[in-house]
Amino acid sequence: MADAKKPRAAFAPWDRRELPGSFTVEETAKRVGHYKWVEMRLFEALGGWVPTVPELDVKMRLGTHTYHHAWHADLWNKRLPELREMNPERLTAPANDHIVEFFEAMTEPEAPEQTIEKLVGVYRVLIPAKIAAYTYHLNNTSTITDAPTIRSIKFILHDEYEDWTNGEMLLQSLIETDDEIERAAAQQIRLEKILLKAGGIVGPGSLGGESQASAETVGAPA
Amino acid sequence: MKKHNDVTSLARDSRFERLSLEDQFSDPRNAVMVGRTGGTGMRRRLDPARPGSPDRARSLMHGIFTGEIQALEGAGRTCFDFEVGTGDDEVPFELKLDMARQCWDEARHCEISVKLGEWMGTEIGEFAETTVLFEAACNPDPVLRLTGVNRALEGLAIDVFNTMREFGAETGDPLLHFCEDWMLADEVTHVKMGSDWLRRLTEKDPERRSRALEFQRVVDKLFSGAGFRGEEEDSTIRLARRFRELAGFSTDEIDEISELSRQSRDEARARIAQRALTEAS
Amino acid sequence: MAKVIVTPETYNLVFFDSGRIAELVGEAADKAGFAADAEIRVEVDERVPLGRTKTVSLDPISIWVEGGAFEDAKRPRQLSDQSVQDVAGRLLFRAHDRLGGGFADAPDDDGLTLPQQVAWDAYAVGRAERAGLPASRSRRLYHFRNRHGFNDVADAAFDRLWNGVDLTWADIEAACQETAAAKEAASA
Ligand SMILES: [Fe+2]
Repeated sequence: MADAKKPRAAFAPWDRRELPGSFTVEETAKRVGHYKWVEMRLFEALGGWVPTVPELDVKMRLGTHTYHHAWHADLWNKRLPELREMNPERLTAPANDHIVEFFEAMTEPEAPEQTIEKLVGVYRVLIPAKIAAYTYHLNNTSTITDAPTIRSIKFILHDEYEDWTNGEMLLQSLIETDDEIERAAAQQIRLEKILLKAGGIVGPGSLGGESQASAETVGAPA
Repeated sequence: MKKHNDVTSLARDSRFERLSLEDQFSDPRNAVMVGRTGGTGMRRRLDPARPGSPDRARSLMHGIFTGEIQALEGAGRTCFDFEVGTGDDEVPFELKLDMARQCWDEARHCEISVKLGEWMGTEIGEFAETTVLFEAACNPDPVLRLTGVNRALEGLAIDVFNTMREFGAETGDPLLHFCEDWMLADEVTHVKMGSDWLRRLTEKDPERRSRALEFQRVVDKLFSGAGFRGEEEDSTIRLARRFRELAGFSTDEIDEISELSRQSRDEARARIAQRALTEAS
Repeated sequence: MAKVIVTPETYNLVFFDSGRIAELVGEAADKAGFAADAEIRVEVDERVPLGRTKTVSLDPISIWVEGGAFEDAKRPRQLSDQSVQDVAGRLLFRAHDRLGGGFADAPDDDGLTLPQQVAWDAYAVGRAERAGLPASRSRRLYHFRNRHGFNDVADAAFDRLWNGVDLTWADIEAACQETAAAKEAASA
């Protein structure tokens, strides 16, 4: 620090960020729109379930998690105009019809005896799938041009990991019999099958590679 | 999951017992209380000097606890029940975000209430639960729902928390005072949310605004319950003018709630006196 | 079991059963140490949903309660076994104390200060709980802290009273003085 005028490298030797990334602005906007749609459906579902759940600890946790996902939706809503989408509603859309079907099936359980089914859908199927899709995005986008998306994903993933753990622990403490294990597994299998058809939470390509499913894409920008 | 459920959908574990408003008001002993409580039939101010005040504080806190659960449930349903849009049965995206934020706040209030209940020696479900708050939260018009819940009921919460905070200060209960102080801050935020959304959503629809304010008056009056909340010396819960101002109530609006409380008290007094007369004859 | 006479015998405003009240109070009287031939009178003011209670006479033992004191807080107008035994245990242990020598110097119930009342209650309810009667230690502790201070001195005094055996009025007074001194020191 002796000579303040001495030229230094713009990128320090330990800063290995690179320009290239897997997504264009348009692709990023489309993906972010799908994220927002998923986060919205999730926070609405959690909020809607609150009165239907008799277990006090689960009820309070759902209330807290409702806000987490609403905040994620808000982050994506604010990111869309920065990605040249001046009408965020236009891109706030499901990746395809199967993801709509997935949410319909996930939110079907309503009775107070179905807390296990409710939690399985969110914490054993949807949140792991969100973590996967967000992590894929984080690892493949440009670390320089798309830094704002990366920053949001990191905040979001922090919530997702914590909520996933919370939800899984609630499930493990609720499941006490063989029959309940089977109920949980049946719900998981049912939802995983729909999600497979959807190709992940943002459709085929949720984890890169377009080959995992042949679902038609809807709600994409013209 | 279907949209717009009702109070029967509230799921509780076996510790909770529900009490309807009708049961509450039809208790024949209400009439006997006339002479004892200045004619209102209601219990008096939460005065630390009275031997039973710690138990009354416990019972009031339990009422707050079940109110927090219902506030959480109501805010959750508002996230779910309405689509984003500009129709009368739709809401702006930002309103849903506010309701999700309120879910988190109310979930914390439930957590605080559980811990506070333990501190005060109260068991979960020790007292009966009334469900008026959630009933207001079932209104199918989002503006009426927000006005009834966030302005009338969360407004009442401001009055209750302020009263309990003062009680905590008078008795030297550090935890009660601490908790009420924090919850009071959140409730002021929620009431402000209600006031802001009422103004924004009815800016061009004065008729809808007056319907919402009328609904608020009905709920306010119900909760002023025979002088339970008001500005009289012996009101159990005192109207918290300063905090209501912070939450966006105008002086006229606060005066109106005070007047509603007075009316409600007078009506209850007349009703109970009439019943006593009928029973005596 | 002690002989318990409950008035009124039938109720119009609440769903109480005087036979059941007599049975529950009789059990509590046994546990408080009353002889099998003791007579205990219980007067219930069914008109009042509040929870005030008092011992109105020691010979015979007569206790008076507002209906709310025996009521189920979850189910208005219904009798709560637990409430009856909680109240009876507290009042009867205290009445039994008065009949022994150790509490001869204690003022009448009406002359007790609030701190003295809750201190004596802590001693009474602690024994009731050990005798198997329903009691909430945390509720009594909260009452105690409200009257004696939210501090370690008060909590230690409460523990001593709650766990106390064969205490006298002098012990109750000593606890009150100790907590009053701690309160005074804190506010000085
Ligand atoms: Fe609250």
